Amino acid sequence: MPDHMVSVREVFNLDSDLMVAAFREADDHVPEADAAYRFNHDVTLAILAAFTRNRRMLLQGLHGTGKSTHIEQVAARLNWPCVRVNLDGHISRLDLVGRDTVVLKDGKQITEFQEGIVPWAIQRPVALILDEYDAGRPDVMFVIQRLLERDGKLTLLDQNRVLDVHPGFRLFATANTVGLGNLNGMYHGVQRLNHAQIDRWNIVAALNHPPAEDEIEIVLARVPEMDHPAGRDLVASMVAVAKLTRDGFKVGDLSTLMSPRTVITWAENIGIFGDPGKAFQLSFVNKCDQAEHGIIAEYFQRCFDRELEGPSSPGHVPDNAFAAAG
Amino acid sequence: MASLTEQTEQADRDRAAAASRRFAALSLRRRKQTMELGAAAMRALSGRRGLHFRGTVLYHEEKPVVMPAPHLHPPTCDSAPASFRGAADGMALRLKKSDATLHKRLCPDTATRVLVFEMLEQFRAESLVDPAMPGVRANLNDRFQQWSREFEASPLIDTALGIILFTVAQVCRARITAEPMPPDFEDRIESTRMDLAPYIGIHLAALRRERFSQTGFAPHALAIAETVGAISEHLESREAKPARPKSRVPQFQLLFDQDGDDDHVPTAGYGQSDALQDGQGLYRQYTTSYDRQFQASDLIRAELLRGYRQQLDDDIARKGINVPRLGRALSEILAEDSQDGWDGDALEGRLDGSRLARLVTSSGDRRVFRTERIERRTEAKVTFLVDCSGSMKEYSAAVAALVDVYARALELAGARCEVLGFTTAAWNGGRAGKDWIRAGRPAYPGRLNEVRHLVFKDGDTPWRRARSGIAGLMKKDLFREGVDGEAVDWACARLAECGTGNDDSGRRILLVISDGSPMDGATGLANDSHYLEQHLKDVVTAHEVSGSAEIFGLGVGLDLSPYYRRNLALDLSQGTTPAVVNQVLGLLLRSR
Repeated sequence: MPDHMVSVREVFNLDSDLMVAAFREADDHVPEADAAYRFNHDVTLAILAAFTRNRRMLLQGLHGTGKSTHIEQVAARLNWPCVRVNLDGHISRLDLVGRDTVVLKDGKQITEFQEGIVPWAIQRPVALILDEYDAGRPDVMFVIQRLLERDGKLTLLDQNRVLDVHPGFRLFATANTVGLGNLNGMYHGVQRLNHAQIDRWNIVAALNHPPAEDEIEIVLARVPEMDHPAGRDLVASMVAVAKLTRDGFKVGDLSTLMSPRTVITWAENIGIFGDPGKAFQLSFVNKCDQAEHGIIAEYFQRCFDRELEGPSSPGHVPDNAFAAAG
Repeated sequence: MASLTEQTEQADRDRAAAASRRFAALSLRRRKQTMELGAAAMRALSGRRGLHFRGTVLYHEEKPVVMPAPHLHPPTCDSAPASFRGAADGMALRLKKSDATLHKRLCPDTATRVLVFEMLEQFRAESLVDPAMPGVRANLNDRFQQWSREFEASPLIDTALGIILFTVAQVCRARITAEPMPPDFEDRIESTRMDLAPYIGIHLAALRRERFSQTGFAPHALAIAETVGAISEHLESREAKPARPKSRVPQFQLLFDQDGDDDHVPTAGYGQSDALQDGQGLYRQYTTSYDRQFQASDLIRAELLRGYRQQLDDDIARKGINVPRLGRALSEILAEDSQDGWDGDALEGRLDGSRLARLVTSSGDRRVFRTERIERRTEAKVTFLVDCSGSMKEYSAAVAALVDVYARALELAGARCEVLGFTTAAWNGGRAGKDWIRAGRPAYPGRLNEVRHLVFKDGDTPWRRARSGIAGLMKKDLFREGVDGEAVDWACARLAECGTGNDDSGRRILLVISDGSPMDGATGLANDSHYLEQHLKDVVTAHEVSGSAEIFGLGVGLDLSPYYRRNLALDLSQGTTPAVVNQVLGLLLRSR
């Protein structure tokens, strides 16, 4: 169990007098701390509440906003062991709970029960992060349902066993939607969640795209060779382009938006190709629908005061697309 | 010999005319593209969905947005796209950084004061551009510089008030945005600036300091507006010409829409109709007793239709348009997923009761589930409405080919397609006009003519049987005048009626092919020239708002954006080419 208290002000550099529980010793499952990581004030406090007060927490936000990383970085500073599981559509109930498998013992084939990740985690002081929670299959969700109760015990039916939950076990989930399904067409494969599920999460927080100043710092921390006055201006303009793509997505002109992760990739690619325009083309523009290239070129012009070059045309299909073949 | 020369000359003239038409259509397309991109940038910058241009007027949803600052109205965006970008960015910043209600409350009341106050508020909004967006700043600057050059070149600058306005604009913008003024302007305005300094100097200093707060900024801006307003009144009284004060206002209008030389492609005309206003906005038909609806094939001899059809087939074959491919593209755009039965024997999904026995009989077999089968199916109804007014005669063959190609491709895609046309039975009012004259020409009679609605292909007739009917579009002596608004209403009503077997789901699309504003001589004379235009716009807006149909305007050599929010300029000077077919497809694709 956590053995001492640390000050949020000191460890996370946030303006709060809160003290939170932490471990002195780190084990193998503690994620590595990233010194350059920038914590979002509200979301950090929510995650800390989840750790300290044993609350189940669901963190929601668009892709690339760093939801799982945020939880991991908090865990790293608390020395709290942390395990991530991706709940894609192919994870089955048995993968999580465990199943009988055939093993060799003393030269004989016997069946033996092998625990899945969930029974393993709940018996230890481990933070379990369920990524892509809204992409999980409905039958998988009901395994988790019971765990969401704070004192919920896990029953392994095939084993006739009831597992007690370790007091140091914590449960987190991240999702792109709040269980409402694929409303804007951006996240295929997500499910509409059962409301009974959503209801059992004690804390639901949203992590959106960071404010421009923070995003600039995040990019500079990842790509430190750009941290000089000219580089800063460049990054500010890149972040402004990203902001325009997000606004363009909101008003329905674009079907793709730039995540902070893409901005970082773009910054890194500038180091490779030497030119912001070329790197932009390769890191983002080519991911977009051809019909939207013209609009993206306009955004680029607004933020860089130069035209975006490259094979982008506002037309959709070449003019001779419907000429008869031959 | 002489006739040979004449022939060559005639051929040269035809070629030159065709080239100039081609050029006009090309520049129209480019201009519309610039405007669409500008509007997209504006939506992202201001965060407001629903901003778009009709003609050069900015609209939010269905309401026009007034942008009175004079430099936001570039005369044309063909010559300098950057200048148009600047105007669009300026409008976006104004929407984002300025509170319109507050501004309206603060606004002074005389023309000169309003002009100055508007300008200053616009400069304030422009000064708040995000420093991370140097492109926006440069665009704004370009636009303002170009406006200043145009102002400087106009005769207005030589008037006493003109130079004062010019000076105030230059000095204030340089102060508020901290952008330097070109040196030649400095020389030009120097003496005026010295004269003005004692009155406005103290407020000038405050303008930049207060630019972050609209309420803090306003008193200083109003003080400057008041100074200029007072000077203007003083000048007017000194000139003491009785007719003068009235003519002041049109001079300011010049500032708003500096009509340069008219070299750009025409935009469809549009104005408010007084006649329609007087009748409480109710559109009237003087009489409908002569209106008729015909199957086009009943009006034309079968022999003639066969000839037209042959001509049309040859034309399409020569242009080499790949119809099956177009059909596939259309079905991609128009088809929607729909649930259609079940797939059994699945490993997951919903339990299938009829398969449960399988669990007992063969215990290893878990295929007892069923899943929903989703199929893509086209439920769309598409109507082409062709303007058969006199000026369209020239394009009748090209329009027939375009409509024919689409009718065939839509049928392949599984959509229901209608081809309709509208014209009148007579020129100058016909029998309706004569009745009106006989009745002593009562004021504002409403529409005066015999409307003809033509059905070239109805939705239930397959293309194969409607082939000759579509060829009827090539009969040029059907083409007379056009009453667009009523025709759009009629076509929408036909779209709303269910055809056989189709339920009410799916998209309803109306494509209007037209080369001009509604034109009916008698109606225009008896009411006013904007009567039919405004009715068309009202009808289109009403149908769009109610969602009864998606209406697209395909302008032949004309920008139809004042009437149709979704529109396209077509270049039919070469007939219907694969490029034209593709442009129409692109329009449908973008609206998906």
